[in-house]
Amino acid sequence: MFFRLLLESFRRQRRRKLLAGVAILLGTTAVTAMLALATTIGDRIHKELAVYGANIVVYPKADLLDVKIGGMNVKPATGGAYLHETDLEKLKTIFWANNITGLSPELAFDAPLAGHGEATSVPVLGVWFQHAFSDALTTGAIALHPWWKVSGSWPTAANQAVAGAGLARRLNLHVGDQISLGSAGTAVTVTGIASTGDAYDAKLLMPVEAAQGLAGLPNDISRMDVSARTKPEDAFARKDPDSLPAAQREIWYCRPYANSIAYQIREAIPGAQAEQVRRVEQSEGTVLERISGLMWLISAAALLAAGFAVSAAMATAILERRAEIGLMRSLGASRGGIAMLFYTETGLLAVLAGGCGYVIGSGLAAFLGARIFAGDGPVVLSTVLNPVLLPVVVGLAVLVAVAGSTPSIRTALRMDPTAILRADA
Amino acid sequence: MKLTMWSMLRRSIAHRRARSLSALVALTVSAGVATALLTLYADLDAKLHHEFRNFGANVVVTGATGASLPLDSVARVQAAAGADATVAGFGYAVATTDRGTEVVVAGTDFSAIKRLDSWWSVDAWPVAGEADAALLGQRAANFVADEHAVKLVYAGKTVTLHGVGRLRTGGDEDSRIYMPMAAFTAWTGARVSVVEVQVPGGAAKVEAAIARLKTALPGLQVAPVRQLVEGESRIVDRTHALMYAAVLLIALTVGVSVLATLSASVLERRRDFALMKALGGSQRQLMGLFLLEALVLSLGGVAAGYVVGSGLAWAISEGNFGTATLPRVGVLPLVLLLNLLVAVLAAILPVRVLRGLQPAALLKGE
Repeated sequence: MFFRLLLESFRRQRRRKLLAGVAILLGTTAVTAMLALATTIGDRIHKELAVYGANIVVYPKADLLDVKIGGMNVKPATGGAYLHETDLEKLKTIFWANNITGLSPELAFDAPLAGHGEATSVPVLGVWFQHAFSDALTTGAIALHPWWKVSGSWPTAANQAVAGAGLARRLNLHVGDQISLGSAGTAVTVTGIASTGDAYDAKLLMPVEAAQGLAGLPNDISRMDVSARTKPEDAFARKDPDSLPAAQREIWYCRPYANSIAYQIREAIPGAQAEQVRRVEQSEGTVLERISGLMWLISAAALLAAGFAVSAAMATAILERRAEIGLMRSLGASRGGIAMLFYTETGLLAVLAGGCGYVIGSGLAAFLGARIFAGDGPVVLSTVLNPVLLPVVVGLAVLVAVAGSTPSIRTALRMDPTAILRADA
Repeated sequence: MKLTMWSMLRRSIAHRRARSLSALVALTVSAGVATALLTLYADLDAKLHHEFRNFGANVVVTGATGASLPLDSVARVQAAAGADATVAGFGYAVATTDRGTEVVVAGTDFSAIKRLDSWWSVDAWPVAGEADAALLGQRAANFVADEHAVKLVYAGKTVTLHGVGRLRTGGDEDSRIYMPMAAFTAWTGARVSVVEVQVPGGAAKVEAAIARLKTALPGLQVAPVRQLVEGESRIVDRTHALMYAAVLLIALTVGVSVLATLSASVLERRRDFALMKALGGSQRQLMGLFLLEALVLSLGGVAAGYVVGSGLAWAISEGNFGTATLPRVGVLPLVLLLNLLVAVLAAILPVRVLRGLQPAALLKGE
């Protein structure tokens, strides 16, 4: 009997259910879309903030002092310490390895240049261009300097190089030119001219293996930029971990502060000094916090709006059916039984409409994300639906729908059945 | 006692207080949410650009190939860039420490740097009056014998600086020693060679400032720090678009729900409608009455909602950005329009539905 009533209610009273259903659908769509966007905004903005450069820098501890003005080495240091490229594999084993979103090691040296008139040496920088560091991460200088523009193409082979725009002007280089580098006169083809807008404009960029060969420094790198997803710095982050008691140190170590990631890099790579690039990290943290804070607050607003919408619609829907309640009571149904029936209807409606709203909301969030953050790569279908959101959103929908219909049901149950039957049209 | 439209309206609202109140609440919520979101949206750009000031200089002024700039450059740059821009001049020279290492020494104005480069982590800032106070970059400090009496030699001239503290930035500054500009010029003879400027606002304002600087300082190179300007514009634009989408979505949700609530309450008054028709009221009169009621309630809702929404926007802004968002009068017409639209639709649609029904049938109870 109970199930027949339930079924018939859905079959016959479609119009009434529609209004409440639409309200629940819209509400859950809005909430799902907002929550889906709010949870991914952190990653998206971090990618955008990559334009400001890497937030951690790694260099050899025993390095000589850089003598740089405006990014240009005024008196190039001879000798000096180096890190080993093979040691970089150890970065895959640190605690926060998955938070590292980009690496760009560099080897800087001056290579003798033949046959270009007055210019006898060229500042060369050996870098990774598109290096497959691990299964999940293909990274290099291009990834860490997204504002670089190249006319021509990036090097793909060992004897190719890209000249910075300033260097190209100085040496009158064009795409396709061949230059003779190194004491052995190795021929290198210029495959592109890079407009970088910073100190790299005056350098010749080539694959790091070729640079190491030219410099006679196999497996050496002079410094590395690291881009990592970090938690904004707070007072706890600034503490020196070695001065903290063991339990506190665990907590510090296990939080992705820029300081703790730098600490772990120092532990992993022998001879390395690592620290946060304060200019980038300090501000990046604040900007990220503000924007994601805004998104969460708007999600809360969406939640409130949706909650209000659903409870208002439910209250109205139940109010309309007072006559039914009166009839059922006069036929002898118990208060509890009637309440059970209506709550089950409400719950079922909430689950169905909520489920549809979840799907539509996820699609909407994916669409908005793709449109607004264009250039992030194609939408991966498997990431569109966030499984954690489904129970949360549907659960909230059921909760709000039930809460919204409660006052109306209680009022209707309290009234005298005869009064209802007589008064209502 | 005359039965005018107004007295009917008054009584209708007063006698069905519970229903009027719930309708008023619904309209207040919708107006409040719309006001809060629109107020935040209008202020978003300004707030975000303010955050990006922390990234430091986005325009750099240099002379031709590192030559010193004219004496009053910094003042002229400040005048051209605008009063809200932060300007700091730097002069560089390569000196030798008492350990024989070469180090870059920079002459600068510490008070300007404090504002421009707020990310510098410094043990202590030099006091304005001290002529020989210096900040040692943390890497440079390792190559100096005594941090409190830093002996530097440039072109045969020696100077002893008093290291006030270490500087940590993770960038090139860590390898330098910073000293006051006056003492720097007196010792090395070099003047300001680079002026860094922080122009607040988006790409358009930066472009305008660069144009002004180029006119005011001909012969000097004025270049934007491309990735900062582009990056800032992109992030602000994208957050802006995101918020726009959010506002639309939430407004739609709230609007539809208010529509549902109001139209349902009108439908509930079927018998009033039937009675008035039976007593001779015309369709137009009845529509007019419901419409008027809806308008009065929505005006009340907008008034209350505007106050609540502005307060909400203020609270959210304080909580998230740390600075207040003041209520905007410009938001009011839009909110009013939205609410009126919803209220009018809520009044008209049910009435059209009821039009087809027979008064007699309604009064009988079918």
